[in-house]
Amino acid sequence: MNIKTTVAGVIAALLINNAAFAERYVRYEEHGTVSWGELVDGVVYQLSSAPYHGGKRTGHTLNETDAKLKAPVDPNQSFMTAFNYRDHKLPGYEQDPTKRPGLFTVPVSSIVGPEDDLVRPAEAKNFHYEAEMVIVVGKRAENVSLEDSSDYIFGITIGNDGSERDWQASDIQWLRAKGSKNFNAVGPHLVTGLDYTDLDIEGRHNGVKSQGANSSGMIFDFNYMVHYISKYFVLEPGDVIWSGTMGDTGSMKPGDTYAITVEGVGTLENKLVQEK
Amino acid sequence: MKLYFKRFSALMLMTYVISAVSFAETYVRYEQNGKTSWGELKGETIHQLSNAPYLEGMATGLKVNQADVKMMAPVDPRDVYMTGFNYEDHIPEGQKTTPYPGLFMVPAGTLIGPDAEIIHPADSDFIGYEAETVIVIGKRADNVSVEDAADYIFGVTAGNDVSARDWIPADIQWFRGKGAKGFNSVGPVLQTGLDYKNLTLTARLNGEVRQNGNTSKMIHDFEKMVSYISKYFVLNPGDLIWSGTIGTSEQLKVGDVYEVEIDGVGVLRNTIIQGK
Repeated sequence: MNIKTTVAGVIAALLINNAAFAERYVRYEEHGTVSWGELVDGVVYQLSSAPYHGGKRTGHTLNETDAKLKAPVDPNQSFMTAFNYRDHKLPGYEQDPTKRPGLFTVPVSSIVGPEDDLVRPAEAKNFHYEAEMVIVVGKRAENVSLEDSSDYIFGITIGNDGSERDWQASDIQWLRAKGSKNFNAVGPHLVTGLDYTDLDIEGRHNGVKSQGANSSGMIFDFNYMVHYISKYFVLEPGDVIWSGTMGDTGSMKPGDTYAITVEGVGTLENKLVQEK
Repeated sequence: MKLYFKRFSALMLMTYVISAVSFAETYVRYEQNGKTSWGELKGETIHQLSNAPYLEGMATGLKVNQADVKMMAPVDPRDVYMTGFNYEDHIPEGQKTTPYPGLFMVPAGTLIGPDAEIIHPADSDFIGYEAETVIVIGKRADNVSVEDAADYIFGVTAGNDVSARDWIPADIQWFRGKGAKGFNSVGPVLQTGLDYKNLTLTARLNGEVRQNGNTSKMIHDFEKMVSYISKYFVLNPGDLIWSGTIGTSEQLKVGDVYEVEIDGVGVLRNTIIQGK
């Protein structure tokens, strides 16, 4: 037995081990029914329930191309974070974001999937993209320590937190500007086993790079977010936490596309349409 | 003839009262042996329902004495909408207001029931009471007109939107100051058939009246709220809309008891306890 064979064997074992840990989940619609599925080599294996609820393969499969992909999340609560990258600033906000996360929430009805359009309401004039990473909570989290918080993170996906900047300035709180229906795209897949503290993210407006960062630049990383949120709130399986966006954002016109790529997850691309 | 007329009027009045009574139903949620159920309250007996009343829950035949169970918040929403500055007497001088509702959200996990305690967090120096009227949505509402909005309102309950006055200015959004766990009590019952545009609300701190008002003074009444919210968001059965509070909100200390009483709903009474 030569050393090369041994090294190759060890590497192969590591890869297999890693592959088994890194799983890729989707939510899809087939014949009007929405299901969870596990995606392996272009085949969707239907699951009996959400993977973080212990969903098992039902035996039903379909080709990925035959599944209409929905947002790969099904939360009751969607927690967002303001000003969590130092290079993202908005006029009128002078608070020091380094003290604690700038938390807020949006209703889950604002979430659309990777094959849906973002919708700009008729009266909205200043709809901006915001590339973000989104984690999905795997189990009930209440008063979780920073050391333990990674145990509560199930997986990661991509999000575009569409924001109406004029409403954000005019309203008393951000709810309408950040959480109106069809403002928040999520997908395409929910992926486990990634190091979410060190992933590259890039956003492209009509194909032109306009945002980019690595999640190591988050002021409060996802482990801290879980710890902090679980001190004041109760996180349930399936709940989502958004990273906050980076750099400058720009206004989108109807017909524009925004694509966000996160290393290891894939690309979420949506078109903006005008409300009829 | 006069006598007959009087008898006729009395009969008409009785018919009216009976029809009003049969329309007005009282629902509760309760916990027994670790399981939470919906029920209809008749006198002091709870008649268990198979599901939430707004989801067509039917009587299961099981009955239980109200005194033998723990009363839970008589609501089970996913989305909880709140309103800032919706009574003239609660708008401080210099406060920014908008010609439309000052909406925000709190997570449903913040809600507690009439038999639970309000938690005073260890790291807040000042929590304040806010007596409010709360409506429960009866069916999915998406782009509903003000004229049709009444059809989407299922019933009324009382709420205390406890707020950490030191966190609100310290944070970027109100979310933590308004929505932390143990802050928002609701109950004691969910009542249908009330005129939610003309309900008197009285609130007492340790027995002394501190807030009182009537929903007729809401700047944006509940029908306008349903219409406005359904324009930007999707309301689902069970979701809550809070009226906003009245008058001045003052401090709650550990050991205090705050009561919110609404005509036809009853008294929501909670004690403040020290959190960790």
